[in-house]
Amino acid sequence: MSEASQYASPAVWIVESLLAFFILWKILSARRGRELFIRRIPGLSALDEAVGRATEMGRPILFAPGLSGLDIVGLQSMAILSHVVRKAAKYGTRVIVPLADPVLYTVAEEVAKDAYNAEGVPEQFDAEDIRFLSDRQFAWASGVVGILHREQVASALYFGYYFAESLILAENGQMIGAIQVAGTPATTQIPFFLASCDYTIIGDEYYAASAYLSREPTLLGSLVGQDMGKLVIIGIIALGSIAFTANAIWPNVGWLCDLTNTIAKYFPRS
Amino acid sequence: MISFWHWISAPRHGWQLTAFIFGALAIGCGVLALLASTTPRYRKTLVAAVTFLAGLYYAIEFLIPPSLWPLDPPRNPFSEVQPLVGTLTQIIWSFALFLGVWNLFLIHGRAVAKRSRGWYNSAAFFISFFAIMGAGLLKDYAHGPVAKVSQSVFTILFSGFLTSLDATMFSLIAFYIVSAAYRAFRVKSLEAGLMMAAAGIIMLALVPVGAEITNWLPSTGFLSALRVERMGYWLLTSPNMAAQRAIAFGIAVGGLAMGLRIWLSLERGNFFDRQL
Repeated sequence: MSEASQYASPAVWIVESLLAFFILWKILSARRGRELFIRRIPGLSALDEAVGRATEMGRPILFAPGLSGLDIVGLQSMAILSHVVRKAAKYGTRVIVPLADPVLYTVAEEVAKDAYNAEGVPEQFDAEDIRFLSDRQFAWASGVVGILHREQVASALYFGYYFAESLILAENGQMIGAIQVAGTPATTQIPFFLASCDYTIIGDEYYAASAYLSREPTLLGSLVGQDMGKLVIIGIIALGSIAFTANAIWPNVGWLCDLTNTIAKYFPRS
Repeated sequence: MISFWHWISAPRHGWQLTAFIFGALAIGCGVLALLASTTPRYRKTLVAAVTFLAGLYYAIEFLIPPSLWPLDPPRNPFSEVQPLVGTLTQIIWSFALFLGVWNLFLIHGRAVAKRSRGWYNSAAFFISFFAIMGAGLLKDYAHGPVAKVSQSVFTILFSGFLTSLDATMFSLIAFYIVSAAYRAFRVKSLEAGLMMAAAGIIMLALVPVGAEITNWLPSTGFLSALRVERMGYWLLTSPNMAAQRAIAFGIAVGGLAMGLRIWLSLERGNFFDRQL
């Protein structure tokens, strides 16, 4: 592997520093008590509806974190699981969590236990509801499909990293008439979830989930910081596009050549 | 420092291996006991410090290229110990796998003991678990005809059963795509109509009959853009790619923000507040 691809380039330094600066700045200002607005995300608002439906029907909820391991995708999934379990614990509804990663399994067990304790109903925690099925993709998928059909779950929530198994799960959820909410950072699987689920959160909405659900100032600040960083990067992209287009139209303008050369030096095409 | 890491990660055999295993277990138990005996406040600080140091390793390893290190020949010393860090992560994963297997035994063991509905599936789990484990161990450690038979049994179980079952599950996707497409392509709104039209063009562009439909159009010039295969290619590489990149960009920024919060122990909300 070449040094250029293995280590951070100047462009990565610039972009990451900008993003980190905005995120930390906004976190600090939010902690000082500044009010921040966050738009409504229907897919996340639907989580309460999914819990309510399962409670009304007297059937369990399935929360599948996909093939996520103990990384940021998996940890975000656990933050959403914590919210769902707490909501479900209030109404005495079961939440079944099938896992494909043994490390995440141990974390999920603690998250569920913690959520039941926080709601004052530790006796509702059933260790058998947090299940490690298999670390093989399709073995795990067939296990989850089996749970969907055997338990006739009322709500199926898919939050985590998914590959080809996404459609198998979502279509089987459709078959049993479960309300389905999905969120994944896997861009290749988003279309499948969109086609089969009632609500799908896309893109960075997945990482906005913990801020949206907890309304914690630190997380809201981080979200606003992300958006500011994105605006700056969009500005860089727009500047680059305009400069290169103008340079193609007027190739003899000196300062345009200098500008495009500088941009090309720091942001080379991969 | 580097030679220490090389020394500690060098392959060992015999009494040295035994000593290392028991030594690591003793150190691990000691650290756990220390963590358990400290007050939650110090525990939180300790966990935050370890998290920060672990994150700092990866940050330095990635952000500082070898040319910026004052070493001859230029190299990033943090990159040199990365295989060791990878091995450490794998060891933790292996311990956790044991917990996962324990959970499987607990759930299926209870199902068999209680003869609950579908208990025979749980029994099948135990049979297949021990069969593949036994065959796998014997093929590697036994000698003579036992090893040969074990190899055959393992091949039948792994390639004959497991791989085939994986392929079966994967092939089901084809049928699910049809039912999902049927629902997605019902034209109920302008957006659904646009999606239907785009999908129709792309499907036609990918089959020979699609190219045949617009074959009468010139292959160069302005009108050539209306050929089905060109429109399909444009839809895939321009609007579709732009949307995919925009989503991926948002996800990357979101991931970076979450990584930063976890690294600096700034993550808050449901689980992270209480866990430490």
